[in-house]
Order: sequence, then structure tokens, then C-alpha cells
Amino acid sequence: MSAEAKPLPPPVPFLRAAKAVFDLSLEEMVWSRKSLVMAGLLLLPVALALLFRLVADLKHAPAGIDLYGLVVAMYYLRNALPLASLFFATALIADEVEGRTITYLLSRPVSRASILCGKFAAYVVTGLTLTLPGIVASFFLLVPIRGFAGLAAFVPDLLRDLGVAALALCAYGALFALLGVLLKRPTIPGLVFLIGWESLANLPGWLPRYTVTAWVRSLVRHRPVDEGLAELFQTTLPTGEAIAVLVAITILGLAGAYGIFSRKQFVLDQ
Amino acid sequence: MSGAIEFARASCWYGPVIALNDVSATIGPGVTGLLGPNGAGKSTFLKLAAGQLKPSQGEVTVLGAPAWGAPEVFHRVGLCPEPDAFWDGLSGWQFVTFLLRLSGFDDAEVKRRAEAALAEVDLLAAKDRRIGGYSKGMRQRVKLAQAIAHDPQVLLLDEPLTGMDPVNRHRVVELVKRLGREGRTIVMSSHVLYEVEAMTRNVLLVHQGRILAEGDVREIRDLLDEHPHAASVRARDPRRVARAVLDLPEVVSVEFGEGGESVVVRTTRPDAFYTALTEVAEEAGVHEVFSPDEDLESVFKYLLARRGGAR
Amino acid sequence: MPIYDQRYRRYEARNPLRELRFWPITREALKLVIARRAFLMLLLVAWVPFIARTIQVYVVTRFPEAGRVLPVDGRLFGEFLSGQLGFALLVSVFGGAGLIANDLRTGAILVYLSRPLTRVDYILGKLCALLSLNLFVTLAPALMLWIVAVSLAPEQFATLKLLWLPPAIVLHALVIGLAMGLMALAVSSLSKSARVAGLAFAGLFIGLEIARGVLRGMFRTPETGLVSLQGNLHALGNALFGIQHRFFNQPWPLAALALLVMAALSLWVLRARVRAVEVVQ
Repeated sequence: MSAEAKPLPPPVPFLRAAKAVFDLSLEEMVWSRKSLVMAGLLLLPVALALLFRLVADLKHAPAGIDLYGLVVAMYYLRNALPLASLFFATALIADEVEGRTITYLLSRPVSRASILCGKFAAYVVTGLTLTLPGIVASFFLLVPIRGFAGLAAFVPDLLRDLGVAALALCAYGALFALLGVLLKRPTIPGLVFLIGWESLANLPGWLPRYTVTAWVRSLVRHRPVDEGLAELFQTTLPTGEAIAVLVAITILGLAGAYGIFSRKQFVLDQ
Repeated sequence: MSGAIEFARASCWYGPVIALNDVSATIGPGVTGLLGPNGAGKSTFLKLAAGQLKPSQGEVTVLGAPAWGAPEVFHRVGLCPEPDAFWDGLSGWQFVTFLLRLSGFDDAEVKRRAEAALAEVDLLAAKDRRIGGYSKGMRQRVKLAQAIAHDPQVLLLDEPLTGMDPVNRHRVVELVKRLGREGRTIVMSSHVLYEVEAMTRNVLLVHQGRILAEGDVREIRDLLDEHPHAASVRARDPRRVARAVLDLPEVVSVEFGEGGESVVVRTTRPDAFYTALTEVAEEAGVHEVFSPDEDLESVFKYLLARRGGAR
Repeated sequence: MPIYDQRYRRYEARNPLRELRFWPITREALKLVIARRAFLMLLLVAWVPFIARTIQVYVVTRFPEAGRVLPVDGRLFGEFLSGQLGFALLVSVFGGAGLIANDLRTGAILVYLSRPLTRVDYILGKLCALLSLNLFVTLAPALMLWIVAVSLAPEQFATLKLLWLPPAIVLHALVIGLAMGLMALAVSSLSKSARVAGLAFAGLFIGLEIARGVLRGMFRTPETGLVSLQGNLHALGNALFGIQHRFFNQPWPLAALALLVMAALSLWVLRARVRAVEVVQ
């Protein structure tokens, strides 16, 4: 039998391979202990809102839309979503390397781009599944604390917030996916980025433009009062520009992650 | 000669450590045993052939295509890696079917092939159990199932028999032999000589990142037979054993062990020695016999010594 | 010629080793963590605020009018320790996340627990390692800062009125180290991946703090700060050093109680998770 007798068929089509990777990754993400932790983090505001509805004196409470704004802008967009992205997106490839299962993925007739995209899609779906219901539930628990009249007027805000959350999840995810394939230990640099670098968003001048959070924050209308320095220097950037920048961060982050992943050799611990 | 796997002066470094050093080899159809002690470079050899690592120098081709950076080659290559690593949340069935889907098969074909592969390794009954709950031997077998499920022309097996019980070991040995007879190119690494001998006569000896020798495993045996074979016998009356074997012309030395409870015999014809030992075993109260130099390390030491002497 | 006894001899541990059975675990854990160059860098960077504060003390002692902008008194040390919490978090994530997770992943925990060591020794050994690292970025620079302050302005700092400062520094640093250490170890025992454990601990630490922010926005009472580890540590520090704070102003006895509850929960998790055998369903 001659080795070169039959020409090799092309790799499995991109979408088909990405779908298979997506299915496996989703199964792994949804049922992992990690997701349980993240579900706790991302659904915590719902529990807090419930507690508030049950315990607080609603007549003397702040306006519902302000409380909801606090949850969206301060809890989700500034802290929980970036943290969840760091948690999931740095693990896209790192989990496979650490678990030494990357060998199975890399010994199949599929492109590395399809592996990365399948995994990223699973991350986005998991992140949205955990985040969007939390935002919607917070909206319906907090906004109508003094009755449902006028609730409809705020629904466009809710839809806008859901869109911004999805965009933030993609932008942070792509950035952390890049960090995850670039570094062997991405946790500390990721945390330093979130706690340190992202604080530049609260400084004056052009500095906020160098952060992701300033662009994300510019897209929502809520302005929570308890943000410390942000009260002094909060910058609002143009909406169109903000969307373009977040999309660009997503694309560039993913492209960079692919560029590194496609060339990387994985020497696994024995 | 053109083989399914070709190494052309391939080297591989892990940082400052050289794992494979200027290796050239051609591997054709049939089973080839990759034999070498731990750390010899067997796994690196297989990782290069499986496109998991890029050669630092030289070239590695599989089925005419470069092994690194050509995913299409995996339509015809199956890899059973050495690490005991799985997505533990998956069942054996989910594991094999997922990897088959990644090979581009449709659902009906995935089901048919997964069933056939799991049946080959006798795991059909346990297919729905989580891999995390499998025994070590079952985990080895499910790894083998994913490697053969897409009917590859080239099969790379990194220490596939580790952790298997004798029954399954025999089953896998027969399976590999049959796949080899069908004309597939199979490379199986091991550091256990008799494991390789059970599957093939064709071996590549790897030592310190280099190919030390290649050819028929019997030639190695012959070389070993020229080298006096040492056997240590523990017995109630070791002097009786010594008297019985001393007359054999092939016995070159007899030495009593510490405390006089054992005797170490060196012979150029182990078969004649063991026959003589059987005759006297009961009378002398033999309760333990082992060969202190039958491990692979001593084979390599001997071959290296011969190579050094031949220079 | 003397003939020595060749029989098997049982190893008799020296007295200190018998009493401090956890010590080899601490030593090995520290060795492994400190061997990483990036971690050493982090430990060094954690001393940068010390240099900044030293300059502050120096400037104020030389130019007293600067004290109106950057006051130098007992509160300085409380603020300094609170500022070091960020480094304590990074040290706990970097140095503590893998302490138990890696042992669970590699099966080393079985090796430890098959020695004459109890689970308490094991946990104590790991905790001491993490506590030492935390104290290196909290207690050590804070005490050093106090020595610098006393040396530069003895008339201001070496007074009976401020004699409480060193014990307060030690107490606050110990509370920070123990609380962070126990929680980091508990989270580490819940995963086999140091990376996941590190992120989970950071998530918990930051998540509880943002939950505090949201609860404060909703209820507008200082007691909402009790849910946050960071908030309770700040509150205790504020009470110790006499700092009035806009956010971290929950009553200190309640903050201390909340910290005790958190520590008890961490110990409960550790008791459940630190075992030699794991049963797979």
C-alpha cells in the first residue's frame, strides 16, 4: 500500500468543526463547578433585589430606576462582567492545556481557528445565559418598586443595557482570550488589568479612552452616584465611537489570540 | 524507500534540553515498536509524528504532508496519547462521538463508528458511564477507541498498555497486530521489551534522543544472548543449585549472594540453564528466580557498550 | 574494629520537629512559591507604597506645613495597611490558590496524609505559608514604616500616646493575613486547578465587595458592609487606628463577628475537602 496513493481530503469545514467544539465546550462550561461560582456572582443582584423587595421600606427607598442603574452600571458592567470574562475567557485554551486534553483537539482534521471560535462562542453563550436573566430579573424587581405605572418607559433602557452587556462580554472576552493564550499564568495580569489599569477610566483627559470600561460605561445612561472618583472625572464618550471601539477590541483580541494559538506548541506536563 | 512516516534529520529542543537529536527514520506499513527507557525521546518522537510539536530542525512528514501545521493529515492519523487525561464529565460514548464529529462524520456514521470502536476495546457495556469513574485500564481502552474510531491509516500509540490487566492487554495486543496486518502503519512506544515483542518484530531503539538501532527484535535478542545472561536464584540449598549448573559448558560464572541464601549464575545460553534449573528446583528448594539485567536499561547499556567497542 | 548495629533503626524525630509537624509543609510551600520569579517581583512591588509613605513621613517632618495636606499621625498606619490589602489579595491569589489545589490535582495530598501528619497539621502548614507571605506585604512594611517614623520624628511617634501603634499594627496585619489566608485556602481546596481557584478567590473577594456597594445603595445603612471581607477588614482597621470612613463604617464588633463567621465557614470547607481519598460518582 503506497502512503501517497490517495490525496488527503481538506480539513473539516470551519463551521462544522466550530459547532462540534462549541457543543463540547458548552457542555463542559455549563456543568462545571466554575460556572456555579460564576452563576453565584452574576445572579447575586437578583438575590439582593429580592431581599430588598422583602425587607426594605419601599416608600422611603430611592427611585427604582436608580437602584437598577446601580446594579447594571456598578455591579455588572464595572465589576462582575469583566471578572466573569477573566474567569471564562482566559480558560478557553488554558483549561485544555492544564487538563492535557488539548492533544485530542489538535489531533483532528480541524483548523485551530475553528477550535478557538467554537470555544469563544460557547463562552459568549454561557456568559449571556448567566448575565441577561440577572439583568432582566433585577429590572423587574427594582424598577417597579412603587408600582408598574411608567415601567414601559424604561424598557428601551433595559434593551440597551442587555446589548451593552453582550458587547462588554465580547470585548472583555476577546481581550482575556488573548491573555490566556499569550501567558501561562494570566490570572494576576488579568486582575491587575481589571483593578489597576481599568481605574484610569476615572481620571481626566484622554486616559479613560485607554480602558475598556470607559467605552462600556459610555453606552449606558445610568450614572450611579457612589463611584468615588468617577463623580469628579467621569467621561462620557460618543456612542457610535464606543460601539466601534468595543467591536474593534473584540475582533483584534480574537485575531491576536488566533495568531498566537495557531503557532503555539503545547508541551504538556507529564 | 518511502514510508508513511518520515523523519529527515529532525531535532527537537525543549528550551536548552535536546529531546530528539538529528533523527532520520522511515516507517512503513505494519507495527513498529518504539523502544527506549524513560526519557529517551519516545514521546517526543510520537508528538512530532502527530504534529503536536514542530521540529526545531529537519522535517517530519506523515503520508507525504508535513506533520506540523497540516490538520488535514488527521483524517488518516489516529493518536493515542500517553497522558491519562480526559474531559472527565463526559461518558465514554460522548468522548468518542465528540471526537468523531470533529473528524467530520455525520451523525449516523458517528454512531456506527463509535459503537464499533467501543466494541473493539470491550467498552460497549460501560459506554454511558462517566470516564471520571473508569478504572485506569478502561481509560486506556477508551483512549485507544478514539484513536481507531475514524479508521486511520497511521496509528500512533504512546504506551497504550499501561495499566491494563492481562486479559485486556492480550486483547489490545491482538487488535494492534490485526490492524498492522491490514496494512496500517502503527508506531507503538514502550519501555518494556516483552510488550513490544508481543506485537511486532520490527523495532526502533531510541536512547538519549537518538535512534540507537533499528531492525528485527530477534537480532536484539541474539545480541543479548551473546551477552552473558544473569539469573539470581534464591533457594533453601543454593549450593545444590550451583553444583547442578556448574557442569554446563555455557555457564561462565557462579557467585553466592550475601548471606549465602542465593546464587547468581551467568550463562551465554539461558535456555539450557533454565532446563537444568528445573530438574534440580524441587530438591534444592528453589523459591525465587529473577534476572537482574532483563530490564531495558541493561539492554541499552549493553548495546551502547558494543557500539563504543566497535568504534 | 568496631562492628556497628546494622539492623533497621526507626527514625526518631528531634523534639522541635515532633512539636512543629506542620513546619516542613510550610517550608516546602514557601520554597515552591518563592522559586517563581514573577512572585518575587510581586513581593518587591508590594513594598513600593512603603517607599512612598516613607517619603511622605520625611517630607512632613522636614516641612511641617506639608502635614496639612498629607497629615502624618497614627491613622497613617491604618491607611497604609488598608492600602496593602490589594497586595494581600494578589499574594493570596498567586501564592495561595495552588497550595491545596495543586496537591489535589497531583495526588500529593495522599502522600502528605500517609505520613505521621494529621489534617490539622496539613492545613496549619499551608496556612502558615500563606500567612507568612501576607505578613511580608502587610506587617513587615508597616512595622518598618513605624520604625522609620520613630527614627525621623521621635518627638512625634516615640510618645506614650502612640504606644498602642505597634500592637495595633501587629493585630491588624494578623487579622488580614489569617482572614485572607483561610478563605484563599478554602477556595483552593474546592478546585484541582490553581488558576480556577485563584480566579474564584478573587471573584469572591471582589464580588462580596461590589455586593456591599449595591446593598449600601439599596438600604443605605452601614451594616450592609458586613457582607464584604474587605469591608470588615477595613472597618476593623478604622476602629483600631481611629479613622473615620465614609463607606467602611459598620460597627467594629459586628465586623469582627462577621470575620469570625467567614473564618469558621472557611475551616468547615477545609475540613470537608482536605481528604486523602476522593470518591468519583
